[in-house]
Amino acid sequence: MTLVKVMGFTLLLCLVFLAVTHLLPQVEGEAPVDKMIDLDVLTMDGFIVMGEQIFNSKGNCTLCHKSPPLGRAPDIQGADMVAVAAERLADLRYKGVATDAETYLRESMKAPSQYVVAGWGKTGAKGERSPMPAAHKAPIGLSNIEIDAVIAYLQSKDGHEVTVALPTEATAPVADSVPTPTATAAAVIKKYSCQVCHVVDAVGGSVGPNLDRVGGRLTPEQIHESIINPNAVIAEGFVSGVMPRDFAEKMTVKELQLLVKWLAEKQP
Amino acid sequence: MGCLLFMLLVCGAVTDGWAADVAPVGGAQMQGQDLPVSAEVKSIMAPHLSRADYPNIGVSSRAVVWVLAQMHLFFGALVLAVPLFVLVIELVGHITGDDRYDDMAHEFMRISMTGFSITAIFGGTLTFALFMLYPDFMQYMMHVFGAQTLFYAGMFFFESFFLYTYYYGWNAMRYGNLKWVHLSLGLMLNASGITIMVLANAWSTFMMAPSGVNEVGAVIGNIWEIMKGPLWNPLNLHRFVANIAFGGAVVGAYAAYKFLASRDPLERAHYDWMGYTSNFIAILAFLPLPFAGYWLMAEIYAYSQQMGITAMGGILAWLFIVQAVLIGTILLAANFYLWSGMSRTEGSNRYQWLIKYIAFVLVACFLVWVTPHTLILSASEIATLGGSHHQILGPLGIMPAKNIAVNLMLIATFLSFQLYRRSDKVATVSWAAAGNALMVVIYIVAIANVIFVGVYYGYFTNTVYKVGSSVVQVISTLVVIVSGITIDLFLFKNAKTLPSHWGQVSNRSQYALFALPVAFTWLMGLMGYVRSSVKTHWHVYGVMKDNSPDNFIPTIAYAGNMITIVTVLFLLCVLFMFWVASLGAAKQVNPATVIEDDGV
Amino acid sequence: MSNKNSNTGNLVAVWIGAVAIVLLGFYLLDHGIMGMQGLPLNWDLTPAQ
Repeated sequence: MTLVKVMGFTLLLCLVFLAVTHLLPQVEGEAPVDKMIDLDVLTMDGFIVMGEQIFNSKGNCTLCHKSPPLGRAPDIQGADMVAVAAERLADLRYKGVATDAETYLRESMKAPSQYVVAGWGKTGAKGERSPMPAAHKAPIGLSNIEIDAVIAYLQSKDGHEVTVALPTEATAPVADSVPTPTATAAAVIKKYSCQVCHVVDAVGGSVGPNLDRVGGRLTPEQIHESIINPNAVIAEGFVSGVMPRDFAEKMTVKELQLLVKWLAEKQP
Repeated sequence: MGCLLFMLLVCGAVTDGWAADVAPVGGAQMQGQDLPVSAEVKSIMAPHLSRADYPNIGVSSRAVVWVLAQMHLFFGALVLAVPLFVLVIELVGHITGDDRYDDMAHEFMRISMTGFSITAIFGGTLTFALFMLYPDFMQYMMHVFGAQTLFYAGMFFFESFFLYTYYYGWNAMRYGNLKWVHLSLGLMLNASGITIMVLANAWSTFMMAPSGVNEVGAVIGNIWEIMKGPLWNPLNLHRFVANIAFGGAVVGAYAAYKFLASRDPLERAHYDWMGYTSNFIAILAFLPLPFAGYWLMAEIYAYSQQMGITAMGGILAWLFIVQAVLIGTILLAANFYLWSGMSRTEGSNRYQWLIKYIAFVLVACFLVWVTPHTLILSASEIATLGGSHHQILGPLGIMPAKNIAVNLMLIATFLSFQLYRRSDKVATVSWAAAGNALMVVIYIVAIANVIFVGVYYGYFTNTVYKVGSSVVQVISTLVVIVSGITIDLFLFKNAKTLPSHWGQVSNRSQYALFALPVAFTWLMGLMGYVRSSVKTHWHVYGVMKDNSPDNFIPTIAYAGNMITIVTVLFLLCVLFMFWVASLGAAKQVNPATVIEDDGV
Repeated sequence: MSNKNSNTGNLVAVWIGAVAIVLLGFYLLDHGIMGMQGLPLNWDLTPAQ
């Protein structure tokens, strides 16, 4: 009998706790899902809407950027970001490389510690470090196109002109295996995602060597070989087997020529 | 050369100082597009999985692993905790020469022996489930942790050896030098257990805050760097302390049940004392827990503000309101048990008047703690409320108010505890009046300090001072606890003891001892769920994405269902564990002999 | 009679002493703990930053 009473009591208590969870507001989280953008029908308005959606969901922006006193980061939606950007650029503390609202916003997302708004820095870091994660890296992982969309949203929401370009075929990834020819070295670099591993024009990863002054280190022939047979010669401090070895098959002759010529011109 | 490096990585050997430059991700990458990397790189990176890579057995894989993992953790916590306080009790018994302590320690071990097998059963099943349902994730984890997992498995040989020698050798090594051998075996048992726990903790903390790997998951550090992430030690401390509280609560339920089921006054006295000791252990370990939890949360915030805010300011925030309900239950139950226990001695009459005030403080603080801050309101509700937050109650929802509430609840609980301990004593030292004055003043000033610091820095200064003030509050509470213990230690030297009757306590009070483990277990399930889901749609945060069908955070009701299921399942298994223990002590009388007696 | 008065007098002194010591102790605690975290305070416990 004691057993029954005790079990009844414990079950009742569990049900009380269970009831609390059922009475609270129910929200289900959503993991980000890959979406295909149809570039043919994408308009600037659609792009702006996409930016707003990213701001509210995948970008995780609203987690911290809320209106005062709740926010743990400056209020973005309540402020005119183009005007704010101009103020920040004019600030004596500003040491970044942006020149206008678009580049400032992009820099804020990709390198948040470049300029830390006063009072919002990491505790104990004397305003040198921002607690904001880089939006293009994990765990947020926005692509360049998504970042552009967010910038478009931020520019347009207060009535300013949108300066970012819509994504086009040249900047979009290739779905099938037949490569479409490209007209400029910059387009080649975008197409083959060189900047994932190499720094080019001050932007990129550090898996492979920085290419900004490669023309001063390697002859055009050596640059050519590095692309189509990357394991032949490994730069000091790097390892073999990381760079893709199939650019010889993937790139057209024209693209390879453009790229080698452009890289060879990058002198110190 | 590349192949050799690859092999070294796979074997988990020292890769100290290797190319920290392997850190891409970012740049011109369209959502959904895989990095254009070679197969060799792919094999050292964390895998990118698609939905099809996850086996499907017809039920939610997450639910299966959830139940198995939580059951394993419940029992793991129990069997780590019991030897900890058993050893202390045995030591106390040996030093004081009081046999009752030794017998009680022995009994605690006896009733938890089956728990070790149950832990292992759930652990094995969990492992199979993980490999079956998340093969790629497990492959990656095995690749990262390498031989550490074998070392973990090997530790069980030590634990089993020390467990069996400690338990079965209890009576054989009862006195003198052999007793010290026995105590050493107990110490080694605890050392093995703690080692096992911290090794496994590293897997959880690695998933939340990976260290020793780069952004794509390639191993770039040695095993120490992998294990010693920013969350490892906070979790180690929190689990160590919480296990003790949990273990005390569970064995307290055993004592309470035996008390209620017994008619023999001597037996009831024994189990009453056992229940009191269990509650003492549980509360003693419970008091510092909020601080350990705070440290864990602070480290989460320092590691990733995004993760921290997801937990307490984002989608998981409501769970902390449920946590408030659970801890409120725990504190109320513990206090109620202490007040009931004061009836064991008539010396408690002088303190009875304080109880209603303590109760009032507990309830009021609990209500503040449970007040939510951010409510999901519709437009019309916002209009009625006059804003996104209630003008009066809104401010009670944020951390400063909650910190005040929690600290006051802890101080109140310690007061109940101190009054109970004083109930059967009358101080005889000459400086008793001064000592009491000091104690009273410390309580009053500490409470005032907690409130002042919380209100002033919490509402009238900036965020950094607000956050820093919580440490002041915590220290103030600790000052009360430490000074209370110290002053009483000296104040009651050679005190006159009043008669106290074990067994003379209401049946109702025993239900407080049932409420404790139920609330503790449910709370463990809840907090474990928070810990696991705070990494949202990542297996390993920022490194390996979760693309399984269950990669979303479920509703709080779903979580509540799962937690209730595992809690009930755990309690049933504990019942079985206790039953097996009493089965072991039972002896069936030979029916043949009984008939003979009747014949005469 | 005088014993009782001096006893009371003693008691008052004890209490006042206790209050003074404990108040001072917590005041120093506030300064110390906040200071250790890089959050200095002024004499009147207002933030110094």
